[in-house]
Amino acid sequence: MRDMVTSVAKAINWNRLEDEKDLEVWNRLTVNFWLPEKVPLSNDVPSWATLRPEERQLTIRVFTGLTLLDTLQNGVGAPAMMPDAITPHEEAVLSNIAFMEAVHARSYSSIFSTLCSTKEVDEAFRWSEENPHLQHKARLVLEEYRADADPMRRKIASVFLESFLFYSGFYLPMYWSSRAKLTNTADLIRLIIRDEAVHGYYIGYKYQRGLEKLDEAKRAALKDFAFSLIFDLYDIEAKYTAELYDGIGLTEDVKAFLHYNANKALQNLGYEALFPPAACEVNPAILAALSPDSENHDFFSGSGSSYVIGKAVATEDEDWDF
Amino acid sequence: MLDAIKPDLDYHALNAMLNLYDADGRIRFDADRMAARQYFLQHVNQNTVFFHNLDEKLRYLVDEGYYEAAVLDQYSRNFQREIWDAAYARKFRFPTFLGAFKYYTSYTLKTRDGHRYLERYEDRVVMVALALARGDEALALRFMDEMLSGRFQPATPTFLNAGKKSRGELISCFLLRIEDNMESIGRAINSSLQLSKRGGGVALMLTNIRESGAPIKGIENQSSGVIPVMKLLEDSFSYANQLGARQGAGAVYLNAHHPDILRFLDTKRENADEKIRIKTLSLGVVIPDITFDLAKRNEDMYLFSPHDIQRVYGVPFSDISVTEKYAEMVDDKRIRKKKINAREFFQTLAEIQFESGYPYIMFEDTVNRANPIDGRITMSNLCSEILQVNEASQFNDDLSYAHMGTDISCNLGSLNIAKTMDGPDFGATVEAAIRALTAVSEMSAIDSVPSIRKGNDEAHAVGLGQMNLHGFLAREHIHYGSPEGVEFTSVYFAAIAYHAIRASMLLAREKGATFKGFEKSTYADGSFFDKYTDRDWLPGLPDVARVFDGITLPTRDDWAALKLQVMEHGLYNRNLQAVPPTGSISYINNSTSSIHPIVSKIEIRKEGKIGRVYYPAAYMSNENLDYYRDAYEIGPEAIIDTYAAATEHVDQGLSLTLFFPAEATTRDINRAQIHAWKKGIKTIYYIRLRQTALEGTEVQGCVSCTL
Repeated sequence: MRDMVTSVAKAINWNRLEDEKDLEVWNRLTVNFWLPEKVPLSNDVPSWATLRPEERQLTIRVFTGLTLLDTLQNGVGAPAMMPDAITPHEEAVLSNIAFMEAVHARSYSSIFSTLCSTKEVDEAFRWSEENPHLQHKARLVLEEYRADADPMRRKIASVFLESFLFYSGFYLPMYWSSRAKLTNTADLIRLIIRDEAVHGYYIGYKYQRGLEKLDEAKRAALKDFAFSLIFDLYDIEAKYTAELYDGIGLTEDVKAFLHYNANKALQNLGYEALFPPAACEVNPAILAALSPDSENHDFFSGSGSSYVIGKAVATEDEDWDF
Repeated sequence: MLDAIKPDLDYHALNAMLNLYDADGRIRFDADRMAARQYFLQHVNQNTVFFHNLDEKLRYLVDEGYYEAAVLDQYSRNFQREIWDAAYARKFRFPTFLGAFKYYTSYTLKTRDGHRYLERYEDRVVMVALALARGDEALALRFMDEMLSGRFQPATPTFLNAGKKSRGELISCFLLRIEDNMESIGRAINSSLQLSKRGGGVALMLTNIRESGAPIKGIENQSSGVIPVMKLLEDSFSYANQLGARQGAGAVYLNAHHPDILRFLDTKRENADEKIRIKTLSLGVVIPDITFDLAKRNEDMYLFSPHDIQRVYGVPFSDISVTEKYAEMVDDKRIRKKKINAREFFQTLAEIQFESGYPYIMFEDTVNRANPIDGRITMSNLCSEILQVNEASQFNDDLSYAHMGTDISCNLGSLNIAKTMDGPDFGATVEAAIRALTAVSEMSAIDSVPSIRKGNDEAHAVGLGQMNLHGFLAREHIHYGSPEGVEFTSVYFAAIAYHAIRASMLLAREKGATFKGFEKSTYADGSFFDKYTDRDWLPGLPDVARVFDGITLPTRDDWAALKLQVMEHGLYNRNLQAVPPTGSISYINNSTSSIHPIVSKIEIRKEGKIGRVYYPAAYMSNENLDYYRDAYEIGPEAIIDTYAAATEHVDQGLSLTLFFPAEATTRDINRAQIHAWKKGIKTIYYIRLRQTALEGTEVQGCVSCTL
């Protein structure tokens, strides 16, 4: 992109890679492409009806919170990082990330339109605009996404959003599915988690490559910034979590999950863990529920979360040797 | 490592620990056992209705309309006490959490509000035994013994429903033809609703429906083809579920040479338009040999209008062999056709399988060559293991039958291979299973779909399946897919075939009746038996001989004697074996599914009703993990070879799923399909893919993730 400045437009050449990781992640993201229409969400209608009104309200609120984060990342976060891209391939990957964030934001609306009434949804969206904690964390992240902000700090904020902030929300559908509720919705969320895991990992990777080019003082300053940002965000998350989950008595459990993911986010940036293992003892049912791999499901009631778009290769004469 | 397990964890959390290694990298089997125990202590025992004694319990259950009085009235009170005492004396325990959880959430009898349990496992087994034995005390004890010892496990509809007062049907599976007219399509939709309501999977054949753009009443470009019919069916199945107990489920089959074939496949594309996207209906493609020949020569394949075939040949598309008539139809200008490249067709098939797991495949000519029954097999079912002949119906304008053809139903049950091998009398177990399945057929009369009822009355078709092959082989320190594993499969299935045919012959002799059309089958002229009388099917390898030690296997002389008896007395059941995928029942039965390899050492099971639960493979311990290589590690070839050894001896089909890593290409899938077809496989069920987490993004310490 920098060549644009000297007004020489350059075409992207995927056969000349500066960083193999770009292609690896591009391939992973493209085979993982999906749309919410593939998940038979309507099979969750009966199970939705078994939730108590306050549980339903909680679920809708959690999803509007997630929608907000995805909207930020799609509209501001990923595009803001594009000018920072070191390689044109990185830029291409970021455009894929931006698009998939839009798919994620779209997915929550699919869940809403399948399960909820318009009134419930409108109320929840209003709640998301008025909730101080949600708005506060959005502001903190947006601050770093400003055009004049530091590109490295932008990546830090972005990794925290992808790898940490989402998880207070992801907890709930995983919890429901471990209780045999909203299992198709959980499939859809698991597809989102599958994507976010790669996004956070990739941006963190690019951050670490960026660090290598900086001197010791700058590195130390960035690390200080990262830890102070995660402290601030954690503080908000803890309040946000308590407000949402106190009602059904899950706050402590969700917090352990937050600790676990805060450590993961820091790990993506190449930093040591913040929370000791004892504080990260996530309920095994939730932790195990995160893995999308090799799930064996009853095909007739769900589509699962493990199918991918395959690589087409034509057969050769030798294959038809009979 | 149990000290490390927090005592306040609930059973879901304990169960989930199976999927997370302990600090020493060992799988925590004891956490799962503790989960099963906690499930009883924390949940089941507290929610089970207490009765002082059996008499009180049975009186209550009959008076309150939970049990069918007629089932119990066939037996004396004394005998009832005897069989219940015998069952409880076995001290049955569920070895895994999922087994117990699945049983109590999906099978056991509950109070009407759904909150309290009225049955234990033993009660369910005894009620099924009493219902199927129809008043025969000795047979009831035999059924109870076979089920409670885990050797024979009836399929879900039978095990769930038998003996209950308000219940669905006992039959698992239905197959319906659709012909090329509105009456038949309307009737098929109605039948699908009726059968879904009663609790079975329904498969429908679309091959005979005229293609998109075909003329209607001579006016061109009128027909909209098979897609709108699929949409109607999909909605019908989601509408009808059995009181929420089981999702209505359906499959549709289409011949590869039908002009709508690519549209049909595209309904499962990731980016398919909402108008044509098919989400929950399963797809199957019927592929004749000629398609492979055309692909081998890298030629185009012609697709033929069903409407014109009907006009030219006077029979529906499904009732001709495309392979046989291909050249003739290509040259016949009365049959309109279009063409696609045959290799591209196979590639498209594989692309869709990547994205969705569908379609199933039925190798039409292989299936019909192996069919001992007079008539033509044109389709399979929802799990691609039922392969039976059917006959078209014709309708009057008011939807009554002008000619009633036959449609297909099949009731299933499976043997646990390990327990059957451990059992006292191999042949008796098979015979009991065939008798139990025959009882289901005789007790069923699906009046809502008369062509199904007629087919069942005439055929008494059953499908005896098998499960726990991998668990058994691993326990015996034989690798799945090894020469020993394949030889075991061959010998075992030959012995099953012998005893199943013998049992059906005994039934024909007792009842003085055979299935309709026996005289035109290859059983009647004896040619079916040639491959058993020309050679022996006995163990050659020492390890295989070792596991059969103490079991009497049929020799070619036994087969020759059986042949004469069958030719004299006939067979009562037109079809005997079919190997289903066994999901739920294999968990209850502590088996590995069907004759598949395991999908993962710790399987993650998700179902609408039970959520996410973790299941350890049967007989697995931290010491014998080497024998539990999973399906992705074993690879498609060894799985196909194992299935080919079994297919040889199974008169119907076997649900064969193939497993690939996500890095595989469509070419890998095509090669596996070609290998399967070459080896005489009859059908392919799902294509499953496993994507390993990108390095750096995986959940740490997770057993089912990358190993």
